[in-house]
Amino acid sequence: MNPYLPVLGIIVFSIAFGMIVSAASMILGPKKTYSKVKYSVYECGLPLVTSARERMSVKFYLTAILFILFDIETVFLFLWAKAFDGLGWFGFVEAVLFIAVLIVGYVYVIRRGALEWE
Amino acid sequence: MGIIDSLTAFQIQLITTLIKFVAILVLALQVPPLMVWFERRAPALFQRRKGPNRVGLFRFRLFGLLQSLADTVKLIFKEEVVPDAANKVFYHLAPVIAMFPALVVIMAVPFGNDFHIGDHLITMSAIRIDSGFLFILALSSIAVYGVAIAGWSSNNKYSLMGALRASAQMIAYEIPLGMSLIPMVLIYQTLDLNQMVLQQEQVWGIFKAPVSFVLFFICMFAETNRAPFDLAEGESELIAGFHTEYNSFKFSQFYLGEYVSMFTLSLICSCLFFGGWQIPFVSYQTLVNLTGYEFIASIIGTIVLLHKAAFFMWAFVWVRWTLPRFRYDQLMNVGWRFLMPVALVNVLITAGVLSFIRFGG
Amino acid sequence: MAELVIFLSFASIMLFSSLMVITRKNAVPAAVYLVITMLCAAALYALMGADFVATIQVLVYAGAIMVLFLFVIMLLNTESDIEHGFQIKGPDFVMIALTVLSFAITCIALMAGKGAVNAPMETMPVDGGNTLAVAKVLFVNYLWPFELASVLILMAIVASIVIAKRDNAGH
Repeated sequence: MNPYLPVLGIIVFSIAFGMIVSAASMILGPKKTYSKVKYSVYECGLPLVTSARERMSVKFYLTAILFILFDIETVFLFLWAKAFDGLGWFGFVEAVLFIAVLIVGYVYVIRRGALEWE
Repeated sequence: MGIIDSLTAFQIQLITTLIKFVAILVLALQVPPLMVWFERRAPALFQRRKGPNRVGLFRFRLFGLLQSLADTVKLIFKEEVVPDAANKVFYHLAPVIAMFPALVVIMAVPFGNDFHIGDHLITMSAIRIDSGFLFILALSSIAVYGVAIAGWSSNNKYSLMGALRASAQMIAYEIPLGMSLIPMVLIYQTLDLNQMVLQQEQVWGIFKAPVSFVLFFICMFAETNRAPFDLAEGESELIAGFHTEYNSFKFSQFYLGEYVSMFTLSLICSCLFFGGWQIPFVSYQTLVNLTGYEFIASIIGTIVLLHKAAFFMWAFVWVRWTLPRFRYDQLMNVGWRFLMPVALVNVLITAGVLSFIRFGG
Repeated sequence: MAELVIFLSFASIMLFSSLMVITRKNAVPAAVYLVITMLCAAALYALMGADFVATIQVLVYAGAIMVLFLFVIMLLNTESDIEHGFQIKGPDFVMIALTVLSFAITCIALMAGKGAVNAPMETMPVDGGNTLAVAKVLFVNYLWPFELASVLILMAIVASIVIAKRDNAGH
């Protein structure tokens, strides 16, 4: 049996479980639709000013991009860690080179202040 | 065992997977109500007061354990107010996305050793695949979408900002989480959690990789948005968090997902660093000889694992009610500038030491 | 037989969500449907026995790259339009018809036994699973591409920071 078959079944069942429970509460609750105010958006102040939004967006974008790149590095390192025993010193030196190049990148990130304020 | 012989291997695997799935699901769903109760009684202990202890049955107060049941029933029967401006499809989808990764990942945790029924090998985890570890990490990445989509679909600027900050926090701490697990793979040379537990018979993982444990412990809190990293939740006391437009059961689905994630991470932490289902210095074979049945030995393993996971759940609550909350920029600084280099250096040092030990100077 | 059923269901979900990606008026639903497409692709990889690639697809592509897409879209698009239901116009019909036609041709070809999918699939039985197989080949045969990959990632890091910081003066 393909070991991924239980994975598929469990994912389908979990999603179905979540949806059924969620729908149950929708059906079981009372519905009092006479008040229109309830359904409007909840705001307790003025909306954000455009320039503040602009500044935050770059940091989120940088966080996400750096996350992708270091995630890829983590995947490569997982592969190396799995094959570690079979590769000996040769593999260790390989991986040290790999990590060294990425440490250079990381130091550049820190020196440029790309992750300031967050 | 006449019935067992007459079924094919495939049918036996199918039936046992179904049984395991239902059993683990039921176990996982007991945790949130218990944690909700514990989350109120434990701080009462720290703060020298009594928590809720009235709700009981037939005049027995039962330490207020039924408070969770009362809360759940109340939440299910509350009115569900869907905002007019919300995107209907994603509004209903987001809590499901927040909840289902936790429920799937817990199926990959080994609750005991593999045992034999007749000729068939039955595993004690519903999902047993070769790249078990990577599977767990992959599904944890999906959990980010629940938060992001919840915030966006509410069509509320504050929800959106809160959701983006919470998602940025979660992804920032996923890297130290992954990197702190690489030394474990280096040491145990396997991606399968049960193999790792089996290798911890004499020496627990924490003695072999203490730095990894500290990193993993810290990232556990950040991944589940728990204190002191709980800006996503705490903000809902100040302005609105990502679940501000959610009420009734959908709101509690987010918390359900959070508590089940906590439980799953506690289980994984126990498996990696504290020997999992192993009793220290007692090998599986000893247990089998003691009890006579492999199945009973595995169930004993499950009970041991649950005790260890319970300790970590208590640690979650303990830390939450002891430490103050981080500011957002402090939070991200700790993640990117402190934990990540420590994790990288940890990988290098562990690999170096292991190379000396295994391949000779 | 079961494999064919699973393949067809995942393939049709994938086609449907890719259709939805290109027909949405609002960018965030399009991104979410793209995530669903990636997850279906991962399922197809797992079906073919490449479980390492499937896991990495979910971990990196659906879990990291699409998160970036979603972040950027959400930040640039805070005044979101309200979806006014499912609107299909003239050119959409042509596109849908072409997609369904190509899908039907593929199905017929599969059933008729043509195409490489029906060739007997040779999977190497590997000790230690798929991950170890990939690792063994990667670090011995493909050593230089591996090291170059690190340089590529470094280039990406530097480039993204330069582009992002270019508008702000200073630094």
